[in-house]
Amino acid sequence: MSNEHTVKSYEEELQFLKDSLIKMGSLTESQLGDAMDAVIKVDKDSIDKIIKSDEEINKFRSKIDTQIMNLLVKRAPMAIDLRETISSLKISQDLERIGDLSKSNAKKVKPLPLDLPDELLGNLKRLGELVMKQLNDVLDSYVNKNFDKAKEVWIKDEQVDDLTYIAMESVIDFLSKDKKNLDFSTHLIFATKNLERAGDHITNIAETVCYLVKGEYLKGSRPKGKVIQE
Amino acid sequence: MNNIKIKSKNLNVYYGDKQALFDVNLDLNEKEVTALIGPSGCGKSTFIRCINRMNDVIDICKVTGNIEMDGMNINDKDLDVVSLRERVGMVFQKPNPFPKSIYDNISYGPKIHGKGETKSELDQIVENSLKKSALWEEVKDRLDEPGTSLSGGQQQRLCIARAISVNPEVILMDEPCSALDPIATAKIEELIDELKKTYTIVIVTHSMAQAVRVSQKTGFFHLGKLIEVGNTEKIFKNPDNKMTQDYITGRFG
Ligand SMILES: Nc1ncnc2c1ncn2[C@@H]1O[C@H](COP(=O)(O)OP(=O)(O)OP(=O)(O)O)[C@@H](O)[C@H]1O
Ligand SMILES: [Mg+2]
Repeated sequence: MSNEHTVKSYEEELQFLKDSLIKMGSLTESQLGDAMDAVIKVDKDSIDKIIKSDEEINKFRSKIDTQIMNLLVKRAPMAIDLRETISSLKISQDLERIGDLSKSNAKKVKPLPLDLPDELLGNLKRLGELVMKQLNDVLDSYVNKNFDKAKEVWIKDEQVDDLTYIAMESVIDFLSKDKKNLDFSTHLIFATKNLERAGDHITNIAETVCYLVKGEYLKGSRPKGKVIQE
Repeated sequence: MNNIKIKSKNLNVYYGDKQALFDVNLDLNEKEVTALIGPSGCGKSTFIRCINRMNDVIDICKVTGNIEMDGMNINDKDLDVVSLRERVGMVFQKPNPFPKSIYDNISYGPKIHGKGETKSELDQIVENSLKKSALWEEVKDRLDEPGTSLSGGQQQRLCIARAISVNPEVILMDEPCSALDPIATAKIEELIDELKKTYTIVIVTHSMAQAVRVSQKTGFFHLGKLIEVGNTEKIFKNPDNKMTQDYITGRFG
């Protein structure tokens, strides 16, 4: 008994879908990194490029949608193929949202002064690195169908929450020293919050990977760190 | 969970030297639809023929092990097979109406089983059966025409009407839609949904999508063995057995 579909083109279509999602994932990853860099270095020149790459990500999303619809109509996938198809739909949605958040962060660079103190950006940088690592790990868990790794990412979202809290604190500290920091500090607060949201989408993806691999949802509620009420 | 209507225990079937079923243990729940799937020749039809002793008519066929309906041993040599088949109706792959009128196709069963003494009783049975099988509106003005004059989908519903005319408890369907177009298929599937309120239904199908649509429980056979049986949703989303997964996802052979 082989593991290939009897219908070769079906096999190819599924593979093509997986490939598209992996490409979309790596695009989202580099966009998130670029947006982080832009914020930390207050690099206003890269904003346009980041906005452009978001369009690219959105295009992938609609391409993946079409592929999924075709698969559903033509193949009526079952079992692992069904989970693979539906997971791709969900993951591509989360990736697209992460892309939107990166774009939003890139836009926040514009009003920032060029001489931001390190102590202000240090925690934000750490948060950005953690979110990057989380995205990298979750995509890895998808590619390798690794349940344990996905679950690890899921658990580690608590750290994202905690670090968000700390990063917020440093911005607010800075803000309270001098009211005229207000206009750009709010942008940093939003950028921090955006990273936390990206973390939530990564957690969604982790849940989807767990479902994809084992066919059942993770039990229990999500681990929660310190959260700032909206 | 519904009661178990039919229970097979270590059921083995042989055609001469060739064994077609191996120790099949399968429970069919009352007022539920059980779908049987598996590659051609895996023993699906053989299994359902055990339920109404249709294998009796095959000389070389030998059945061992146990199969019970409501605790009654179906294989009991002294069992009245005619009354068993009154309780367990069957619908075949190809619609096979008798070469008689639509009316006679349906009244025949009740007559030989001694149901419907008078003409008006029979009229009532014919009408009810045709209504239950969702054919009444289409044929009520042509009951005297031959059953064979109907379209394939109508003929199959006629056969279902014939099966339910004797008020059975179980209906066996062996690929009932394989000769039908999507609309006729949809009608039969809707009918199955309705019928399961009253009857225990077993359907053999080669359409995975159909199994998902109509059944609550699915059994997967391979080379005469029941490989996996369980909740239909579970089987098609996340089967336990790799062979089941390979079959339903089209990765077989
Ligand atoms: N009347 C018969 N005489 C001899 N062998 C038979 C007879 N009927 C079935 N068999 C054998 O028993 C095995 C199971 O056959 P069965 O008809 O139950 O398969 P099936 O699952 O219904 O297949 P299909 O999907 O093609 O209808 C096959 O190997 C078949 O060749
Ligand atoms: Mg058969």
